[in-house]
Amino acid sequence: MSPQFDSLKQLWDMAGHGPYVWTVVLVSLAVLGWLLIRPVQQHRDNLQSIARQSQRQQLQQAASTSSAEPSEEDK
Amino acid sequence: MIAESQGFAGYLRRDLLLAYRRRGEVASPLIFFVLVSTLIPLGISPDSARLAELAPGIIWVMALLATLLSTETLFASDYQDGSLEQLLISPQLLALPVLGKILAHWLVTGLPLTLVSPLIGLMLSLPAAGLLPMMASLALGTACLSLIGAVGAALTVSLRKGGLLLSVLVIPLYMPVIIFGSAAVQSAIDGLNWLGPLAVLAAMLSAAVALCPLAIAGALRLVSNN
Amino acid sequence: MAAGRNWNWFHRMGSPRWFYETTGRWLPWLWVLTLGLMLTGLIWGLAYAPQDAKQGNSFRIIYLHVPASFLALAGYYLMAIAGAIGLIWKMKLSYMVMKSAAPIGAALTFIALFTGAVWGKPTWGTYWVWDARITSMLILLFLYLGVLALQYAFHSQETGNKASAILALVGTVNIPIIYKSVDWWYTLHQPATIKFTSAPSMHMDMFQPLLVMIIAMYSFYGLALILYTRVEILRRERKSSWVRELALRTQPAQVDQ
Repeated sequence: MSPQFDSLKQLWDMAGHGPYVWTVVLVSLAVLGWLLIRPVQQHRDNLQSIARQSQRQQLQQAASTSSAEPSEEDK
Repeated sequence: MIAESQGFAGYLRRDLLLAYRRRGEVASPLIFFVLVSTLIPLGISPDSARLAELAPGIIWVMALLATLLSTETLFASDYQDGSLEQLLISPQLLALPVLGKILAHWLVTGLPLTLVSPLIGLMLSLPAAGLLPMMASLALGTACLSLIGAVGAALTVSLRKGGLLLSVLVIPLYMPVIIFGSAAVQSAIDGLNWLGPLAVLAAMLSAAVALCPLAIAGALRLVSNN
Repeated sequence: MAAGRNWNWFHRMGSPRWFYETTGRWLPWLWVLTLGLMLTGLIWGLAYAPQDAKQGNSFRIIYLHVPASFLALAGYYLMAIAGAIGLIWKMKLSYMVMKSAAPIGAALTFIALFTGAVWGKPTWGTYWVWDARITSMLILLFLYLGVLALQYAFHSQETGNKASAILALVGTVNIPIIYKSVDWWYTLHQPATIKFTSAPSMHMDMFQPLLVMIIAMYSFYGLALILYTRVEILRRERKSSWVRELALRTQPAQVDQ
């Protein structure tokens, strides 16, 4: 097993077939990469929004329990 | 009251009666078929040799589109007036009334298309050898199209803009039918054996009669529960 | 309706969480495996494999084309089987897998078509021919798009799941018929000038990197499917306590909100 091309330039050209091969490689890798990046981003966004939501709820609960007693005594 | 004791024959009779009452609406796929077919020579050329070459494919594509056009309404009125719910509640096998409805649909769309097709064939200068195979293949093929289309119609019946979605769902499934349908006509014109493709169409039809009602019943149950 | 929902809740109890936690442990390994195999296979195939005697260097496209085509087709069956399991055993998790498989499969089908088209230009002088295999692949793309479109057409997630499961199953019954008929159609009309049947004779040095790429693509598929399914699990279980705890544990920087 040995390299088929002597230089990077030759690898890029591929004896005239370079444009076809490298277009295919780049487009395919872009699509494959997008397939992996999209769920990773969505996963993070989802976790963040869930965390934010439950924190807000915890704060609200804490606020309502602490303020519930005095407010009832006032009236 | 209507839904009582209605199996295959009951729904067939009922849908035919409904179709008779809405004659104008039911005739529109047929008119579409004829009108669009007259566009073809205007768009391509009046040259009869060229038209003859394209005629089998064109007639089949037009028939497919005309069937698709009418498929959307297959379950729509039943869904809107609630008779679909009644059908689903009834304890009997759902497949039989569904088959009755589809047969009615074929009788008012596929069969008229088949009967009118020789006229279109003459207009597009289809060789005489192709006329009989064309009618036979259209008769079998449009029945397949009605059955397959009914699956899509059942899945999309509850959606307001189901028509476009229906064509996306159903056209890929139509492809084998159009391949063998137009191949039967083409082989007859070329003097080859056209009974082979026709037999395949018949086999597809029997498979569709056996399997499609299952999918349709499942789809209707699911969609109307919602 | 209420009874049905209770039943589903019963099933949902164990599995999505179990799936999420188990796959969470696999993920780092799967990432390493996928990227490593993909990189190895690509470098081997693009730079070290000998060039084809007839097609020259353009044959190297095979290292992406064939694996993508494999997974595009296998992915449809996987999607349909997941849908069937969902319909029969009312399993939430399997609907999530089905929903995740649709965009991955559609993207792989697109890659297969695109690579095939670009390969066609230097090899047969044209980007598109109505070849049996290419045409079947195009129909497969349409089938995927139908499932995707139906999935998002309904307001209720539940209905969308079941409807697209039914459609996927109908498509599965049809795929062999479509393939056979397209094959038959093509032999009927085969143009004499282009001959596809002469497959490039596969030398062992060419085949080994292809094998690596096929395994890499399977590994990629598994990784992508798991990632999408985990997102789906988070989205649908966002109200459950384990997801909330998980979110609070992993996203501590949100206190200022």
